[in-house]
Amino acid sequence: MAYRLWQVMEKSKTGPIMEEKEFLQKHLVPKIAELVKKYNIKYDPKNPVPADDELADKVWAAAKELFLEVGVYNQDTNRVIYFTEDEVNEALYSAPSEHLVGEGKDARIFGHRKVEDERPPFVIYSPDITYDEQDFLSICLAYLKEPLLDGICAPVLEQYMGMKITSGHPAELGGCLHHAMSLREAARLVGRPGVFFVAVGSAESDAAQIHVSDPAWGIRPSDGRLVGSITEFMTNNAMLNKAAHYQQYGSFGGSLTGAIFGGYAGGAEGTAILETAYHLKGLIVHQCQYQQNFPFHLKHGSNTTRELLWVVSVYSQAIARNTHLVQDSNGFANAGPGTDMLYYESAAHSIASTVSGANLWEMAPCQNKHHNRGTPLEARFCAEIGHAVARQKMSREEANEIVNKLLAKYEDQVADPPLGKTYQEVYDVLRSEPHQEYLDQYYRIKEELAQMGIKFPF
Amino acid sequence: MSSVEKLTQAVMNGEVEEAEKLANAVLEEDVDFKALIEKLGDAMSEVGDKFEKFEVFLPEMIGAADAMMKVMEVIQPKLQEQGLEEKKGKVVMGAPAGDMHEIGKDIFKTILSGNGYEIVDLGYDNSALTFVNAAVENKADIIAISALMTTTMPGVGEVVEVLQNKGVRDQYKVIAGGAPTYQEWADEVGADGWAPDAFQGLQLVERLMKN
Repeated sequence: MAYRLWQVMEKSKTGPIMEEKEFLQKHLVPKIAELVKKYNIKYDPKNPVPADDELADKVWAAAKELFLEVGVYNQDTNRVIYFTEDEVNEALYSAPSEHLVGEGKDARIFGHRKVEDERPPFVIYSPDITYDEQDFLSICLAYLKEPLLDGICAPVLEQYMGMKITSGHPAELGGCLHHAMSLREAARLVGRPGVFFVAVGSAESDAAQIHVSDPAWGIRPSDGRLVGSITEFMTNNAMLNKAAHYQQYGSFGGSLTGAIFGGYAGGAEGTAILETAYHLKGLIVHQCQYQQNFPFHLKHGSNTTRELLWVVSVYSQAIARNTHLVQDSNGFANAGPGTDMLYYESAAHSIASTVSGANLWEMAPCQNKHHNRGTPLEARFCAEIGHAVARQKMSREEANEIVNKLLAKYEDQVADPPLGKTYQEVYDVLRSEPHQEYLDQYYRIKEELAQMGIKFPF
Repeated sequence: MSSVEKLTQAVMNGEVEEAEKLANAVLEEDVDFKALIEKLGDAMSEVGDKFEKFEVFLPEMIGAADAMMKVMEVIQPKLQEQGLEEKKGKVVMGAPAGDMHEIGKDIFKTILSGNGYEIVDLGYDNSALTFVNAAVENKADIIAISALMTTTMPGVGEVVEVLQNKGVRDQYKVIAGGAPTYQEWADEVGADGWAPDAFQGLQLVERLMKN
């Protein structure tokens, strides 16, 4: 159910009025710094995957305190939305620990995972970047052909009938339709008509997201949706509109949040606390059934650096140990497709996330900004590694050792990563299949990971 | 420690009230204001360097810039009196229509204002015409646009088009940045410059202001 939807609507109109700058600089920023000190939370660069239960529990306690004391700011009403500890505890208690998503034979359980859980992660495949309009169906097909795919957040469209998709413009509505209908067509063509979609990423506005809710040709109640919020601890009426629509239409709402390392949260410690606290914002303010986490590095826009892998591991463990919420970990790599570096980054993100209790949402290459540069191969790599890590009951200590070896292979290239190739260069666009050269590269690096200790199930 | 040294330290520590108090105190002293400005500039560069290396983070950088702006506000009459006021340039900045994200713009604003530029901050969700009207009204040199989503990136090209349409394209430099943006795209939409981060954005602004 939606958590007291009506109360959130009311609170967003009645909370105390505050200037946005005051909320950020006088409340949120000092509180995060205070909590880092109070709970003695310390980043340890030697252990990007820490095996420290006490650390995870302290981060959880700090995150809950942050949410309760700072609240969430509504940019449209200039009011702060606060909740009591009883309300937070009620929401945590009443939240389901798993959801049956998708339809028919393609339905899957998307659920909470524990630290070092031997159940494989639920894997959502997504490149999170834009592609040429004429190749959109081919790319959707390429992703949907992937056997370990549990859900898909499709490639993103940049144009609709040759027009740039611009937020708030009618072309955004058209682009949304094109996105949803192409995805639905691709799912049927590969024989997965009921597969779980998280859609649609080609649009931002509330109007466009609401526009594609249709059980026949568009986004179904069995699919997932997103309320995305990047600015720290903010909401606005458009986000609340999306949240209300998703719940009243019946979809699975997802809270898409990325705490920024180096930004208002400060260093790795504050970033981990903030990303953990976002789970409460997603659950309670945006009414969501799952949390999609993508903390990222202010300068690089990625989360495969040493500091960010620590952040990913710590907040995932904090949630896995202290709640039964459903979370997934969204990878953002620096390098592009067809490079060895992208595979090493993908492996590090998948291992750190999986042993720490997260599900997977993989993989956005090229610092999430270069058109056409993303393929299903790197997502496949993450999924196969995630399944292997869970099945072999890998410990955090073992994961830490492998992640350190992987970091040694790429961390000196993070500032100037290779952009690699486009989808059209790596794949046969007509058949939606990778060229042999890139499959050979895939198996070569898979073998390298096997030598490091990953026991692939096939 | 001299009062100038104490003031410089207060700026670096982001102590706005203390910096204001110390700035008022130096007004009463026989201080070489040219040397003071240089010292404060060096202090801001040091904080900027630390931020670039992530030895300090955004809150510390904003604190130092706020303290620096407060000091400049206090000593401005003295600088005018001594003919030391230096106008480096005026930048209108904001996020385009539909974009509610400000962090990139806020970082850029902090870096530029800490380096002596005058900023007109339009906040988020601005139409192309809002950017252009603000640039005209404020006699700006540069329009800086920070887009954080692919669906709001077209807002940069629209600013260029509005400037062309009004026949004032050559009077303003348009620069862009933001997580999903990149050089080839900026060239394509007709921007005068693009930077991958706020520090390179400062270098870009310095370059454009010289031309």
